[in-house]
Amino acid sequence: MLVTETGQALGGLLAAATRYLFFTGKGGVGKTTTASATAVALADERRSVLLVSTDPASNLDEVLGVEAGRIPVNVPGVAGLQVMNIDPADAAVQYREKVVGPYRDTLPASAISQIEEQLSSACTVEIAAFNEFVALLTDEELADHYEHIVFDTAPTGHTLRLLSLPSAWSDYLVINPGGASCLGPLSEMGAQQERYAQAMDVLADGERTTVALVTRPDAGPVEEAERAAAELHELGIAHQRLIVNGVFRATRDDDPLAVAWQRRAEAVLESLPSGLSSLADPDLVPLLPTLPVGVPGLRAMLAPQPPAIAQAVVPHPSTQGEGAGLSALADEVEESGQGLVMTMGKGGVGKTTVAAALAVELARRGRPVTLTTTDPAAHVNTVVGTGVENLEVTRIDPTAETAAYTASVLAEAGSQLDEDGRRLLAEDLRSPCTEEIAVFHAFARTVAAATDRIVVLDTAPTGHTLLLLDASRSFQRQIDQQRSGQASSPETLELLDRLTDPGYTRVLLVTLPEATPVHEAAALQEDLLRAGIKPYGWVVNQSLDAAAPLDPLLAAKAATEHRFLTEVVEEHATHVAVLPWAAEPPVGSEQLATLATGSRR
Amino acid sequence: MSTVHVYDPALCCPTGVCGPSVDPALTQFSADVEWLGQTGVEVARFGLATEPGEFAKHSEITTLMQEKGDDALPAVVVDGTLRCSGRYPTRLELADWTGAQTERPSLPLAAEPEDNDDCGCGPEGC
Repeated sequence: MLVTETGQALGGLLAAATRYLFFTGKGGVGKTTTASATAVALADERRSVLLVSTDPASNLDEVLGVEAGRIPVNVPGVAGLQVMNIDPADAAVQYREKVVGPYRDTLPASAISQIEEQLSSACTVEIAAFNEFVALLTDEELADHYEHIVFDTAPTGHTLRLLSLPSAWSDYLVINPGGASCLGPLSEMGAQQERYAQAMDVLADGERTTVALVTRPDAGPVEEAERAAAELHELGIAHQRLIVNGVFRATRDDDPLAVAWQRRAEAVLESLPSGLSSLADPDLVPLLPTLPVGVPGLRAMLAPQPPAIAQAVVPHPSTQGEGAGLSALADEVEESGQGLVMTMGKGGVGKTTVAAALAVELARRGRPVTLTTTDPAAHVNTVVGTGVENLEVTRIDPTAETAAYTASVLAEAGSQLDEDGRRLLAEDLRSPCTEEIAVFHAFARTVAAATDRIVVLDTAPTGHTLLLLDASRSFQRQIDQQRSGQASSPETLELLDRLTDPGYTRVLLVTLPEATPVHEAAALQEDLLRAGIKPYGWVVNQSLDAAAPLDPLLAAKAATEHRFLTEVVEEHATHVAVLPWAAEPPVGSEQLATLATGSRR
Repeated sequence: MSTVHVYDPALCCPTGVCGPSVDPALTQFSADVEWLGQTGVEVARFGLATEPGEFAKHSEITTLMQEKGDDALPAVVVDGTLRCSGRYPTRLELADWTGAQTERPSLPLAAEPEDNDDCGCGPEGC
């Protein structure tokens, strides 16, 4: 029986599991582990379950110990559970082949490459993945085959966009039946539109669909969960549950760190924002000393064991000494006085905090600094506070950028058109693709601004960022090929050169001292190297080891960091900064400066 | 009434708003096509990326693409005769080829041919 009274973690969700279960939340809150544990628990109840990852930076493989691809595969050790991964890049390749494959023999090679080029844009990649997602929601055969389909989704902003696309595209296709080619061959458009509408019906039906908002007992993730709850409501997706992952109870009251850790969580849970307090009985998942990996780990997560016995923990060398903070990194950037610093990494690792700390430190040293974010769900202003001299805080807001871009295109290109032309142009600009392009232009402008000042860019989570960088490459090719039209802006033309110039762009990979974030950062580093961008350094954030806890569970958790700290230092990074865990996320210029200079508590 | 087939190169969308920059000529042509349709002429527009099959099944178009490469498109076929290749025609040209009446030519921008004024073909078509 799946009952809440036994105290089984996720019991509430499991007892009321609908056919479709979505797990969403800020990166790093444990979406993949809770989604996987749910899928395993449902399968253990003799249900047939499909677990799907739609995250471009999925770590499902690592958590479950199987290689998931486009075709569902069995998970060894769990009867009835299959797993698959919708990889956007892979989906785009399949999709391209489906379009051009039949014409390889009839059309000239140059035409084939033209089509392939067109179908490589960021927008097409997104659509290809989206179509696969929609197919899963609307395929009746799949619905017959699986009692539950569990989605481990991409980080919140991206997920919401994904979920809102059916209505966005349906509306767009109604007013513009010619459509945009990003959607694929026109012959399929009608059928596709029907599937989008069907998908929307499924998502809005509380009998069939539950969205599990996963959060940690921290202010940032909770705020993001509230935003997600509200936006999902607006899309008509009202059946939601709250899951709080990593709830900790201190076992020693002489460890201020442990007490602070517990208090912080309690304070957050007691004062849940109004948008979340209506979600009755959140499922609480206890904090575990180690990340559950593999099927036994996931099962144990739902029936937690007592914490490990205390053991003497010798701090890791990388967390000690003066060089451990951000000051060495700041020294070098300060010297050049200009250029771009980008913080990259999986969502939730503290990119915004690191970016803000570095920006504040450089501004305090008297350098003109701009701190900018491209993350749709970022909170830079809250983190920095106000009144830091030399520091300007800006944000690339997709909605505002889209409006501004639309207006400028209508003004520039529209001036050369007659009335009918302007009307058509305005209609086409309502395409959801316009946002991608608008954000891209803003990104290029931000990068260009670093010619005479220091620009610190807090980027969006990994997958999205990669698509952005990839877009810059395909853009370059499109610009090269373009024969008519408006001249491209100098910022977009020089973007790639700037990003690949180590004297101009310094990428900081931000990670946590845990398995998945480190491996994802390493994979991101590989991708960046392939794109000609060599990351300057690594920042290991929220290290318990650096904060020296006494509580046995926290000390056990601190000891698990060592192998990852060693791995970062020895295998991945040339410059490393390790930042200690803090009870309160640093807010305001004073705290950020303390973090940046590496002073100890 | 005439039938007009337009073979577009691979475009993100008919007005090009999805690309790196907007080409007003493309948007104007979309408006002209819409006008042509309203005069009763049957107009069909095919994108290389969206309907490659329409290109593949017309040997005239594939031959043109083999010969002229990337410069072949866009191509316009009126009543089975290739009228235009390598650029978009003006509203006046469309009217001329189809017998449609126009009081208002399209704006000068779209009316400027690149090198020649015969749309890459002879006065009687290609």
